[in-house]
Amino acid sequence: MSETAHSSDKTYTVIWIWLMALLLAGVGLAEMKVSKQLIVAGVLGLSTIKAVLVAMHYMHLKTDRRLLAFVLIAPLVLVGLALCVVFSSRLVRL
Amino acid sequence: MSTAAHALSAGHAPSHAETQTGIPNGKLAMWLFLASEVMFFTGLIGAYIILRMSNPAWPGSEGHLSVPMGTINTLVLLCSSATIVFALSAAGRNQIGTARKWLILTIVLGFVFLGIKGTEYAAKFHHHIYPSTNVFWSCYFGMTAFHAIHVIAGIIFNFWVLMYTFSPRLWETRGHRLELAGLYWHFVDIVWIFLFPLVYLL
Repeated sequence: MSETAHSSDKTYTVIWIWLMALLLAGVGLAEMKVSKQLIVAGVLGLSTIKAVLVAMHYMHLKTDRRLLAFVLIAPLVLVGLALCVVFSSRLVRL
Repeated sequence: MSTAAHALSAGHAPSHAETQTGIPNGKLAMWLFLASEVMFFTGLIGAYIILRMSNPAWPGSEGHLSVPMGTINTLVLLCSSATIVFALSAAGRNQIGTARKWLILTIVLGFVFLGIKGTEYAAKFHHHIYPSTNVFWSCYFGMTAFHAIHVIAGIIFNFWVLMYTFSPRLWETRGHRLELAGLYWHFVDIVWIFLFPLVYLL
C-alpha cells in the first residue's frame, strides 16, 4: 500500500456497480445485430475498462508507488511487441 | 489499534523494515510474480487469437458455450474481487472479525465459480466433447483449466490468510499477507475478464 489513503468502501462499491454494468453492457453488445468488428472492438474495449478499474482501484495502482505500475506495464509492452511481430505474419488472416 | 492493523491502514506491512524502493519486499515480489503471470496468460490468449483468426469457420457448429453460465461466473468473480477488497479495508480499520467474514465470502464465491465451471465441463464431457475434439476445444479447456488452477491457488492462499485471523499473534506478524492474497485474487479476476468475452462472446 502507499502512503496515501486507499479508497473508501463507498468507492469500492461504486466500482463494483460499474464492473457489473460494464459486464452486462458487453454481453448485451455481443447479442446485438451489428457488424462483427464493432462487437469485437466494443466488447474488448469494455473488458479493458473493467481490467483498468480493478487494477487502479482494487489493486490500488492509482495510489501506490509508480514503480509497481512499471512492473505491470513492462510485460505488456513486451507482449505488445511480440503480438505485432506475430500479426505481421501472412499466416494470420486479419 | 494493533500494530498490524495500524500498519495496514498506514500503508506499510507490519514487521517489515523500510526498503530502498519504499515498497515492502513481499508486495514487490508479488507484483513481479504477477508480471510473469501476465506473460504466461498473454501467451495462451495470443495463441488462441492467432488460431482463431487463421480459421475462418471458428469455432464451428459444435463450439457452443453457455453465455448465461459464463456471465454468472463472471459476476461471481467480480463480486469476489469486491469482497476481498472489503476484507482488506476492514483489516485496515482493525475490524478483524469483519475482515474474516468478507474473506470467507470470497472463498465461498471462489468455490461457486469452480462449481459452475465444473458443471460446464461435465456437460461437455457428457456430450463427448474433450480437449482432443478439435482445436477450439483444446484452447477452451486449456485456457479455462489453467485459469481454474489459478482460482484454486487463490482459494488456498485466501484460506491460509483466513487462518491468521483466528490468531492475534499470527495476525500481528503475518496479517499483511491479506493484501498479497488480494492482489493475486484480483489478477485472477482480470484474466477472466478477458477470457470470458474471447471464449464465450466473440
